[in-house]
Amino acid sequence: MNALYWWLLLSFLLFCIGAFGVLARRNVILVVMSLEIMLNAVNLALVATANFRAGAKGAGTLFALFIIVLAAAEVTVGLAIVIANYRNRRTVQTDTFDELKG
Amino acid sequence: MEGTGYMKIAVALIPLLPLLGFIVTLLFGKRWGKHAHIFPVAMVTISAVLSVYGFEWAFRHQEETFVWNAFTWIAAGQFTVPWGFQVDTLTGVMLLVVGVIGMLVHYYSIGYMHGDEGYYRFFAYLNLFMFAMFVLILADSYLLLFLGWEGVGLCSYLLISFWFRKKSASQAGKKAFIVNRVGDFGFTLAMFAIFVATGTLQFTGVFEAAEKGEIAPSLMTWICLLLFTGAIGKSAQFPLHVWLPDAMEGPTPVSALIHAATMVNAGVYMVARSYPLFIQSDTAMTVVMVVGIFTSIFAAYIAITQNDIKKVIAYSTISSLGLMFVALGAGAWVAGIFYLFAHGFFKGLMFLCSGSVIHAMGGEQDMRKMGGLRKKIPITFWTMLIGALSMVGVIPFAGFWAKDEILGATFIDGYYLVWAVGLLIVLLTGIYVFRLIFLTFFGENRSDAEVQAHIHESPPVMTVPLILLSIPALGLGLLVGVPPESGWLHGFLEPVFFDLEHEPFTWIGEGGALMGVSLVLALVGIAIAWWLYMRQTDVPGRIAERVPWAYKASLNKVYMDDIYAVVPVGATLGFAGWLWTFVDAKIIDGAVNGIALLWGWIGDRLRPIQTGRVQNYALYVFGGMIALVVVLAWVWGS
Amino acid sequence: MPGGDFHPWFFVIVAAWVLVCGLGVVLFRKIMYSAVSMVFCFLGVAFAYALLNAPLVAIIQILVYVGAISIVIIFAIMLTEVQHGGYDLFFNRQTAIAAVVALVGAAVLAFVALSSDIGQIGDKSLTPGLRQLSRLIFDRYVFPFELVSLVLVAAMIGAIVLATREKERP
Repeated sequence: MNALYWWLLLSFLLFCIGAFGVLARRNVILVVMSLEIMLNAVNLALVATANFRAGAKGAGTLFALFIIVLAAAEVTVGLAIVIANYRNRRTVQTDTFDELKG
Repeated sequence: MEGTGYMKIAVALIPLLPLLGFIVTLLFGKRWGKHAHIFPVAMVTISAVLSVYGFEWAFRHQEETFVWNAFTWIAAGQFTVPWGFQVDTLTGVMLLVVGVIGMLVHYYSIGYMHGDEGYYRFFAYLNLFMFAMFVLILADSYLLLFLGWEGVGLCSYLLISFWFRKKSASQAGKKAFIVNRVGDFGFTLAMFAIFVATGTLQFTGVFEAAEKGEIAPSLMTWICLLLFTGAIGKSAQFPLHVWLPDAMEGPTPVSALIHAATMVNAGVYMVARSYPLFIQSDTAMTVVMVVGIFTSIFAAYIAITQNDIKKVIAYSTISSLGLMFVALGAGAWVAGIFYLFAHGFFKGLMFLCSGSVIHAMGGEQDMRKMGGLRKKIPITFWTMLIGALSMVGVIPFAGFWAKDEILGATFIDGYYLVWAVGLLIVLLTGIYVFRLIFLTFFGENRSDAEVQAHIHESPPVMTVPLILLSIPALGLGLLVGVPPESGWLHGFLEPVFFDLEHEPFTWIGEGGALMGVSLVLALVGIAIAWWLYMRQTDVPGRIAERVPWAYKASLNKVYMDDIYAVVPVGATLGFAGWLWTFVDAKIIDGAVNGIALLWGWIGDRLRPIQTGRVQNYALYVFGGMIALVVVLAWVWGS
Repeated sequence: MPGGDFHPWFFVIVAAWVLVCGLGVVLFRKIMYSAVSMVFCFLGVAFAYALLNAPLVAIIQILVYVGAISIVIIFAIMLTEVQHGGYDLFFNRQTAIAAVVALVGAAVLAFVALSSDIGQIGDKSLTPGLRQLSRLIFDRYVFPFELVSLVLVAAMIGAIVLATREKERP
């Protein structure tokens, strides 16, 4: 049980907490927040791996930076969609968005 | 030998001109209206002149065969078929028959079809027929012959159902086409067998191989029988004869040209052309003779009671074709071709005369409503009488010499039973042909007064061909067939039928006696007809009452159509119906609909999964990913 | 336990912090509590980066996540309606399944990591220095770097287009 393993375990747990939020919460904004938690978990795994493994030559750290930037873009667009949607429907409840059901 | 320049041009133009006539007339004929006949008739006239030239060439070069490979028609690996023509004396005879009769029928049609709404169409089809028939007789390979063979079959179909608005006419056309398919199937198989055995389909190659004995005797028998199957279909022999009487639904010139003088002879011609094959198979020869004699007596028996003037002649045609096959089967090849030659003229003449009678009677074909036409349409009467005497076989008409040669050959070769049946046929022929003559031209007219008032002789454009045809019907036999067994035609055809032996004919002796017997029987037949239909007109009815089964069987064509309606047709229809209602509707449609229903059912079951909620889908994705990881870990771990 | 240049207890504290705050995000009923919890979670992750010898990532984490993203999310919360009520209102019907799936997922991931060759790796820190990182960004990964700026521009325009109220059409 070396250090990387512990860091990865932390990352997995955080990832699954985020996943639970994405799967179970009704508020769209909370879903977006949980998504961010998941992204953080992934970043943590990347940084930890880059710290302890020589193979990637530090690219893991760099990818974490890229992911942070893209997450910012994603949150911006995602929340813009949420707001636009809220303006039309007056709700942020995920299970009301089921027009595409079969 | 390779053809010379003029002959090449002639042989190329003989089929091409009618083809041109067909195409041009079909395209522009409608615009020409009642002048639509000019171009096609001109084409056929030139073609006929050229075919007479072809005959004349054969006459000058009796020992040679004109061969000309125009171009390679089919080239597939080892298998090549050139578009090749050949002219020998047999082809020369056929050219003369087809060209001259074809031309005269075209002239006759100008008058007969006058005012018909399909006037141009009729001439277009006739020209197409001439093209196909010329290809058939000029062909130098079985495949090209088959092309013409199918071409004349197509034209036969088109012309039988020429008045296609009439249900019976279109049915008759289909019947002719379908029945002929049965025979053509045999012909096709024969070609396959020939190709397998010899590697070629050209006559010269095939016959050389046959003479060298390269074809095993059993295979040879099969080839001959299959070829004969094709001839049975085309030449309306039992049991495929049923289409020919129905083919009388077509216009009468068509009956004369296609269904008496030329196309139906194609089977006889083809068997005669395959002479080097047939002489190697006694079995096939016997089959040809037996089928021929049976068909002949069978058709004569039916002809006696038919009331439709054209049906009588149609059955007499079947009977005559049967006699030709008897001749071929008995080894009297020249006699068979001689009979074909003469029959083309006198049967064409008979049909054209009957057309003239029908024309005069305003479309009536039932002989029971005719009578006494002798004085009103004298030219038709006299020419038809010549045709009838020729057909029955009265000296010195053409039919007499030909028929007598066939009967003599059967007797001399020892087929006494065939000879006896042949004599019976002569007797029956005398009866039914003169029944037709007496019912039509003698006695009182039995039609309505209105029809009687309009009875008139046909215009010259129709009567002149009759007169022209009556000349060969009268004198052809004297010209080419006398003395029997060694007349001019024998010497002429000897290069084709190279292996025949014949004894010199004896006027005083066996030959003369046989001739006398058949002549006496023909005259007796005429006398019986005279007695039955002129003197004691109640006797035929009494005979019918005494032996009703025989009468009814004859009247109903021995129930052949009814048998066919049950056995092949009914069974096919039943099978097709079963295929439709069960195989198609239940199994195939069931499978198709079942698959559709299955997917519909699966879709219905799967629909609830598609909730439209993104989080649901995310759950599937996440769960699926975990499942994937577990499976992969398990696979790679073990 | 991780260690080396710091005491293992640091790891325990940071891990507990991050997990508790993360759980807070997904479990709080009041969305504002979740948001605040999320900010603290992000901070915890930043500390984790710091412990992993990645100060640049930690700083950017604080700048972007704790600074920018959190603010945007809080704005979005304030622009939408705040709800009050029982758990039914906040958790959907597949919550139980989701919880099971999440736990199983964590277990599977842990098992997979455990059965891999991670255990053979030493505890020595190898994170590149700032100089090395900048060389990577502006040399080898300069093309993705520029692409990211493009993505940011596109996202900015997209967000503006989406959030702008449409004019009433005549």
